[in-house]
Amino acid sequence: MLTTLANIKHILQKELFNGSGERVLSVVTVTKTFKKKKACYLCIVTTPPPVPVVTVCIVKQSEQREGEYKKKRTWQLEEIKWVDGRNEQFETHEFDIQVEKTYKWYALNLHERQNFLAVLYKQIQKYVRAQRAEFRNVPIAWLNDKSPEKLAAGRNAEQKNIQDTDDEEEAQEFTALTDKEATELGKLFSECDFAVKDAEQLIEKLSKELHDLDGANIQSVLASEKQVFALMEHIDKAIAEADSFEKRLDSYEEILGHVKETMEKIGGKNAMIEIANNNNIKLMKELNKVISQLDLPHIHQQALDEPDLKTVGGRKAAIAAAQSLQQAMNSDIDPTLLRLEAVQDQRKRFEKWKAKFSGIVSRFMNNLFIHLGNEMGDNTTMSTELVLPNHLSVHRELTPYTELMHWTKAMDRKTYDGLTRVYTTSLSKIYERDIRNFFSLAKLQISEKLRTSREDLDTSASSKKSAISAAPYGTLGVNREQWGPGVENADRERFDSVLEKVLAELEPVALQEQMFCINFFQMDVISPTSKNTQTTLEVLEKSTDSASLLTSPTSASGGGDASGFPQKKIDRQINEEVRKLMIALFGCLEPELVSFIQSFERIDSFYSLYVLVRLTQHVMSAQDTHSFLSMTFASALVQVKRNFDRFMQQQLLSIKEAKVPKRSKCGILPYVENFEYFAQTSEGIFRKSDRRTDMEKWYLQLVNSIFESISVHAQEHPKTPSQVVRMENYHHMYSLLAQLKVPGLDAMKKEAKMRYTDALKVYVIQYFGRPLEKLNLFFEGVQQKVAQGVKETEISYQMAFSKQELRKVISQYPAREVKKGLENLYKKVEKHLCEEENLLQVVWHAMQEEFIAQYNFLEERIQKCYAGAMITLEFNIQDILNFFSDIARSH
Amino acid sequence: MSKKPTVGPALHKVIMVGSGGVGKSALTLQFMYDEFVEDYEPTKADSYRKKVVLDGEEVQIDILDTAGQEDYAAIRDNYFRSGEGFLCVFSITDDESFQATQEFREQILRVKNDESIPFLLVGNKCDLSDKRKVPLNECQTRAQQWQVPYVETSAKTRENVDKVFFDLMREIRSRKTEDSKATSGRAKDRCKKRRLKCTLL
Ligand SMILES: Nc1nc2c(ncn2[C@@H]2O[C@H](COP(=O)(O)OP(=O)(O)OP(=O)(O)O)[C@@H](O)[C@H]2O)c(=O)[nH]1
Ligand SMILES: [Mg+2]
Repeated sequence: MLTTLANIKHILQKELFNGSGERVLSVVTVTKTFKKKKACYLCIVTTPPPVPVVTVCIVKQSEQREGEYKKKRTWQLEEIKWVDGRNEQFETHEFDIQVEKTYKWYALNLHERQNFLAVLYKQIQKYVRAQRAEFRNVPIAWLNDKSPEKLAAGRNAEQKNIQDTDDEEEAQEFTALTDKEATELGKLFSECDFAVKDAEQLIEKLSKELHDLDGANIQSVLASEKQVFALMEHIDKAIAEADSFEKRLDSYEEILGHVKETMEKIGGKNAMIEIANNNNIKLMKELNKVISQLDLPHIHQQALDEPDLKTVGGRKAAIAAAQSLQQAMNSDIDPTLLRLEAVQDQRKRFEKWKAKFSGIVSRFMNNLFIHLGNEMGDNTTMSTELVLPNHLSVHRELTPYTELMHWTKAMDRKTYDGLTRVYTTSLSKIYERDIRNFFSLAKLQISEKLRTSREDLDTSASSKKSAISAAPYGTLGVNREQWGPGVENADRERFDSVLEKVLAELEPVALQEQMFCINFFQMDVISPTSKNTQTTLEVLEKSTDSASLLTSPTSASGGGDASGFPQKKIDRQINEEVRKLMIALFGCLEPELVSFIQSFERIDSFYSLYVLVRLTQHVMSAQDTHSFLSMTFASALVQVKRNFDRFMQQQLLSIKEAKVPKRSKCGILPYVENFEYFAQTSEGIFRKSDRRTDMEKWYLQLVNSIFESISVHAQEHPKTPSQVVRMENYHHMYSLLAQLKVPGLDAMKKEAKMRYTDALKVYVIQYFGRPLEKLNLFFEGVQQKVAQGVKETEISYQMAFSKQELRKVISQYPAREVKKGLENLYKKVEKHLCEEENLLQVVWHAMQEEFIAQYNFLEERIQKCYAGAMITLEFNIQDILNFFSDIARSH
Repeated sequence: MSKKPTVGPALHKVIMVGSGGVGKSALTLQFMYDEFVEDYEPTKADSYRKKVVLDGEEVQIDILDTAGQEDYAAIRDNYFRSGEGFLCVFSITDDESFQATQEFREQILRVKNDESIPFLLVGNKCDLSDKRKVPLNECQTRAQQWQVPYVETSAKTRENVDKVFFDLMREIRSRKTEDSKATSGRAKDRCKKRRLKCTLL
């Protein structure tokens, strides 16, 4: 056990503490109570003399490497508050140490524990001055007496006992000797070789040497006294020297204090000078700025006084001068500086120049506009080609003055507005004339050919005539003979192509003018102010107001700065203004266009279909939907659509109000017949158009209305049975719709077919009736009896249905009579049905089948109920077929 | 234009005959409405009318589409009687329908009492040549024998559809002009003349 202890101590000393020169005084191998952890070592360690510091530390063996140890924690002895042995029994393993907290330890080895506690106690007694740790539950003997450990150590180290005189620790361990010590000792021992045998002699020798050494020591002390005195003297001198030096330093400091004060004063003055200087420079700059900005060079003054606007050079100079004036009047000068009299004087001078120049420009432009207007008005070359002349020459002529207009807009709004008015009145006259000529030529081109192709197109006369007796051309509900005069398809197509030409001609002219105006009158820039003149030099009465006007655009009123508005709003405002101008220029365009369209719609309603399609194309293809022309077209389109709807509405009404034909056969109703022409015409127009859906909606309404009206009108004819009217008219509708192939009408087509077959069936049954009526009645009676339970074979025993009775009935239908009946029926059907629809064969076919079916039924009944009686009808199937053949032959 | 002429365009009446399912209705619908119906729905009797331009002249054609299935042949007498020209249709994929043309031909001649009535033998469904049952030369031989033109058609592909109707109308038209000449002039033995003409065809 001791060896273990000694081993651990030795190992730790060697592996861990030798490096730092520390020495291990005691080690106890412990685990923490309650924790099954790897054991660690609690060591008491001291640093080497002369100032030994004793500490307690935990050492752990590295987990990775066997022989490596690490110091984990270290406490000074003063940190230990108390130590608790828990029990005074030797066999106690636990002990607690209170440091910053309580550590509960479990010593693996009881001897180690005892030794550790004893050494710890002693070290604390020795080195801790103040509050020493309290030891509880530790046997007092361990703390005072020599511990068994110690005794054992004493026994073990007899050899070293001699040295072990004062320091117990020295003895209780084998101190690793330094090399020097080892050699010294070696030397000593070699000198005292004998000592091994004679300790007495050795002690004596050692005591003697010690004596000698003491003596030598005292002698040297005595010899050094004189030198000490000399040293003291030196020190005194040095002190005196230091005092005088200090005094000098104080005086220096005083001087420096004065200097500092003065320096501070000078610094303040300097700053003031700099500020003044800066201000002067700024003022200078500001004045320079004001003067340079407000300076209008002499050449410019001259150019403004007597501008020559006719020549290129003169214009250039005038524009440069005007712009320089504008710039000067919009100088960036601090509002407060504006109050300077010089600035205001200069402003007044500027105003004068501006007013004078503006007047000159105004007069000049005014004359130019009027002159150009007259010039254009004079050259009236009436062309026979359908073209709308453009006025690029005017634009070209005016373009050089664009900058002057822009200047006027900024600097003299009233003049600008006035000039704009003059321009529009001059030009609108020209455009009005052009447009009127253009449209009358277009009208002429269409109607000239109308006249040649139609005998009776004296419009006024014919319209009067039609107003009295005839329905408008193409009216569905009215017989074609009663239509007023119309036009041929070729005329319509010519109208359409002229209309296209008209629209195509209008577009570039209007667009050019619009572009020119936007540029020339600078309409794409919104003026930042509502004042007549844009200037920054005016001193405003309410200075706050001026500030807000100039600096914060959002709060500006009226036509204030635009930058605060969203782009959309600005665009709208620009559009609005451009449109206003265009309306002033092209005021007559919309009424002319509408009247052009209407004059033809009056002749033939189908024109409105063409216009609808054409105009829609142009409106849809327009890129700028807000432009004047797009709006004009769109508004014309609205009217055209209204006309179109009205035309369709009239068609609907005419169907409802149609009269049943007075002829003896009803035949095809007028609207059914006319629908073919109507549908083919409108399909020709709408087939590839975007407007198809508009038409299809009306188709559906019209066809629905036609179907309804067929059923109503079928009841109204005095001679033709309603089923015939239905049959023939639905058949006709079916055929029309099948040929038309309008996808939206597919359901209506099927409906027509259904109604036709229904009507055919009903007609055949109703009119074919029962030519063998009495036979039918007889066998209906038979059927009743059968139903009551009489056997079919016993029917003939019933009184009413005896063979005799049957023969009597049969005899009423001799072949001759039957044939006559069939012939009459055929004639009747022939009378009912109209030639156009060609349904006679269809109907007759159905009737033949019906008759054979009835015959077969009767024969079958006779065979069943009167079997063996040798009763037959007086005609057989062959007779019937012969009748049919005869009827066929006789027509 | 505004005044409707009292005498309308010429009207030619055509009858479709032939066994059931050979494509009479299909040919008619293709000619009338440019459509082809796959489903087979037997016909009873249907009448159609269309305005067409025949060699530059606007005419109307009446087409009576008849039933291939008929319990009693005599029922047909009446509409054969009304017809001015006949398209006698069979299907080249169906020999029976070809044989049936013989009967149709005889009945027509009997009812019309006219050897040279405008008449075309039409072999339909020629798009189904892989299913052909009636050899071409047989058809041609029969047509020669009858002295009528033979044309193969397809109601599905529209091949020769217009041709059969227009050819027939032309025959009807020339027949009518001849008749009017005959009534106004002398020739009463037009049958012989017709026969002569037909052989030239
Ligand atoms: N491949 C092909 N099929 C056809 C042709 N013609 C008609 N069909 C088909 O044959 C079938 C009968 O055609 P329909 O035209 O109804 O015959 P139909 O002669 O009118 O018959 P019925 O009315 O009963 O006399 C239908 O399914 C058609 O689609 C054709 O030229 N080629
Ligand atoms: Mg059919």
